[in-house]
Amino acid sequence: MTSEAVPENGVGRVLGTQHTSTSEFRVVLEDDEYLQLDDLVVVETDVPKYGGIKTYGVVTESEAVYEGASFESDTHRIAADGILPGAKVRSAQVAITRIDPELWVSPDPGQVVRRATGLERHKALYTDEMGRPLAIGLGRDGEPMFVDLDFFDGRKGGHMSISGISGVATKTSFALFFLRMLTSKPEVVGEGAANLRVLVFNVKGEDLLWLDKHNKDFTEEAAAGWDVLGVEPKPFDSVAFWAPPRARSGDVVVPDIGGRQEGVEAFAWTPREFIDEGLLRFLFTDASDTRNQIPFIEERVEAQLQRYAVDVAGEPGAVVLRDPIEGHKPGDVVTAGKAEIVIRDLKTLSEAIEEFVDPPDGEPDTRWTGRVQAGTVSAFMRRVHAGASRLGHLIRAGESRRIDRSAAQVTVVGIQSLHDLGQRFVVGALLAETFAEKERSGQRFPLSVIVLDELNKYAPREGQSPIKDMLIDIAQRGRSLGVLLVGAQQTASRVAQEVMENAALKVAGRLDAAEAERAEYGWMLPSTRARARLLKPGTMVVSQPAIPIPLVVDFPFPPWATRKEEVVADGDPFQGL
Amino acid sequence: MARLFVEEWSPEYGASVDTDESLAPAAGQIDTTVEVDGPWEPIDGHDDDFPAVAFVDGIRRVDARLTIDDPAAGPIPGICGSFAAGATLWRRDPPRSEVESVRVERLAIFTEGAASDIPPLSHGLLYRTESVGSSDPGMLVSHFHTQMRRAEAEIALDLARSGYFVVADGPISELAAESVVGYIKSHRVSYLPPEVMPIMGRIEPGQRTPLFGMPSYKRYSWYLRLTRPAGGHSWSGIVRCEAPGSLSLAQVKVLADRTAALLPRFASEPHIDPRAPQNLVPIGALEKQLRSRLGDQHIIYRALREATMRQPT
Repeated sequence: MTSEAVPENGVGRVLGTQHTSTSEFRVVLEDDEYLQLDDLVVVETDVPKYGGIKTYGVVTESEAVYEGASFESDTHRIAADGILPGAKVRSAQVAITRIDPELWVSPDPGQVVRRATGLERHKALYTDEMGRPLAIGLGRDGEPMFVDLDFFDGRKGGHMSISGISGVATKTSFALFFLRMLTSKPEVVGEGAANLRVLVFNVKGEDLLWLDKHNKDFTEEAAAGWDVLGVEPKPFDSVAFWAPPRARSGDVVVPDIGGRQEGVEAFAWTPREFIDEGLLRFLFTDASDTRNQIPFIEERVEAQLQRYAVDVAGEPGAVVLRDPIEGHKPGDVVTAGKAEIVIRDLKTLSEAIEEFVDPPDGEPDTRWTGRVQAGTVSAFMRRVHAGASRLGHLIRAGESRRIDRSAAQVTVVGIQSLHDLGQRFVVGALLAETFAEKERSGQRFPLSVIVLDELNKYAPREGQSPIKDMLIDIAQRGRSLGVLLVGAQQTASRVAQEVMENAALKVAGRLDAAEAERAEYGWMLPSTRARARLLKPGTMVVSQPAIPIPLVVDFPFPPWATRKEEVVADGDPFQGL
Repeated sequence: MARLFVEEWSPEYGASVDTDESLAPAAGQIDTTVEVDGPWEPIDGHDDDFPAVAFVDGIRRVDARLTIDDPAAGPIPGICGSFAAGATLWRRDPPRSEVESVRVERLAIFTEGAASDIPPLSHGLLYRTESVGSSDPGMLVSHFHTQMRRAEAEIALDLARSGYFVVADGPISELAAESVVGYIKSHRVSYLPPEVMPIMGRIEPGQRTPLFGMPSYKRYSWYLRLTRPAGGHSWSGIVRCEAPGSLSLAQVKVLADRTAALLPRFASEPHIDPRAPQNLVPIGALEKQLRSRLGDQHIIYRALREATMRQPT
């Protein structure tokens, strides 16, 4: 089907046996050309009474057929016996992304279709209209693809949601790639770049504990990809690693972490911090906890703890509980009486609370319990005890071991070794802390980015929990406060709708086939959905409000290690041992 | 002043004259001793690996019926029609077919030697005006058909000279080139005398009858079997071929053997082509393409009517 005089870059012509429209058209390809999925094309059309317009589009499907074959068996007649004349005709389906100038008419049939390159490529991707284009990966043509940062950092939208099945390590890898781009392009990020802080939770394995180490599997090819993106391929240079203290390690505080020892600090809260910041509620994070009266008694106890707690002399962070009627004021320091329970950890705290709400000999103090049923009090105490045994080691008197989020640009908190309850506690406590800090300042800058995997665990679609409320709050108000959530989950359909809806940037890696059909992925084109189950690690589909169709991008292999085995051994003091 | 009109009547009306019938000689006038002197036995075909075969065919369509309203002479009938002729070229290695050498011609034909130019038409359509001497309107389609046959013969000759083995649809005409084989699908008349007739039940796909001679202008002819359709009679799956009499017997035998061996592979199947197996696959496909090259009948008819309406009265 070679036709004459196809200009340079011409790959085919707009099909004329079918109606073109303002949403899509088909291209019949030249014999010696091809178009693959995600290729960008442009067609020029002369509109009567208006003039020339350019229609930009992206290839969504590629097709080929024997023209002249009307029966399936004709394939043999054409290809094997050769007795039936038939011409192979290859075509491509194009979804229109843009018409420039914006005149909503369909492209003319028979027009030459060209690959969009250079400025036309930017037009096809709306990069020319983006306030602050940030490269977010490479297109099929090896050129950078962009997102408008205005839709991430809160100016026009905020937050990012990443979906994908687990095991192909794409969600976290992409999140980190995005962070790398974000932290390496201060000229794009602008005023938000100064003191930009990132809080990353490591929830599984120890994948994120090597961000500051070179990856020995890093290749030249990957380096070329980073080069195109304009970022020097090197590990993150400002990272702080935090891990919970090892349980039952006595007075020695050692970070509970397997592979890495140096450069990891143990974090914990003192009872004083626990009470002041109202962290008690994060012991009740199971969705079922809200179905009874437990939140009622929890709120009451929390309030009473704040009124009753008095610091103990000589024991920083420890408190005793005394009735405010006795007249102590904030900041007072007392010496604990003999019979008094000194609260040094969660176990002693639970004992102290029990004195009020469920004393072994006597009636509960209704100032602490309200008028809830005795059964509710028991349920409340059961959960406090459970908390004491599962995450008791996170609360300890002594010097403050709070996570210092300002110490480095990226703060990695390893919670992989904690019980579910402990993980939720840490996430809840840190989210609350971050959000409260921004609420106090009321400033959008410096930006605070939070990366949280398994979002479905923290903000499930069904049920209530303090963390879910927190995350919904961040999703809805964080945008204006500069708290930006990069959430990842296997299945978007299991995450609270308010959280999903507020993510301006939606990203998906390989999806489970059934999951891909859900309404949560309605932003994908049908052809992209069909392909979502086949996406390879390193390939993502990105949707952003500024572009009417999702982009498929590849992101290069990371220069930082994601496993201990990948760490470049240079400078390792234990080398050779 | 004489004025040209496009008739309201459907152009198809009266067009179904089988104009090739006149070429068929009467039965019983043939010479059965051209190749074999004695009783007839089936002869095996021989595929001599000839590398390229051209199947030539043409189709025609009456686009509109015309009338010249001559104030003096009264109405003069005419037609205008389009025909397309071309060839499917089959190459053996690798086995591929393609349609080539397509010619489309459009003619306006009037009786009684009259002629009227067709006014300029939209879509760049161009009709050439011709006339027949007779006043018989039946001659219009006949002339039209002859013009198509001429175009076919020219294409066949051209391809034969370029080295193709040419199989042309329909009987060969005086215009036929030397190495052109005519391919006749239907048997309205059986030419064989009763003594050789039983052979028809015995020839198998890949075999042929001995050659026989045809009178009028000199031609060789033979029957061959393409397939044995399930439930068919002794003549189903049979076609007749012709070769020019100007060839030597040895040359014709090569051609006949080649057709017997080669043509069964091109036979069509009944669920695909209503004229199976005789309407060969390359010819069926060629006809389909030629028909699309004629252009849309309604668009052409409308263009003709518009143009004649615009004439000054």
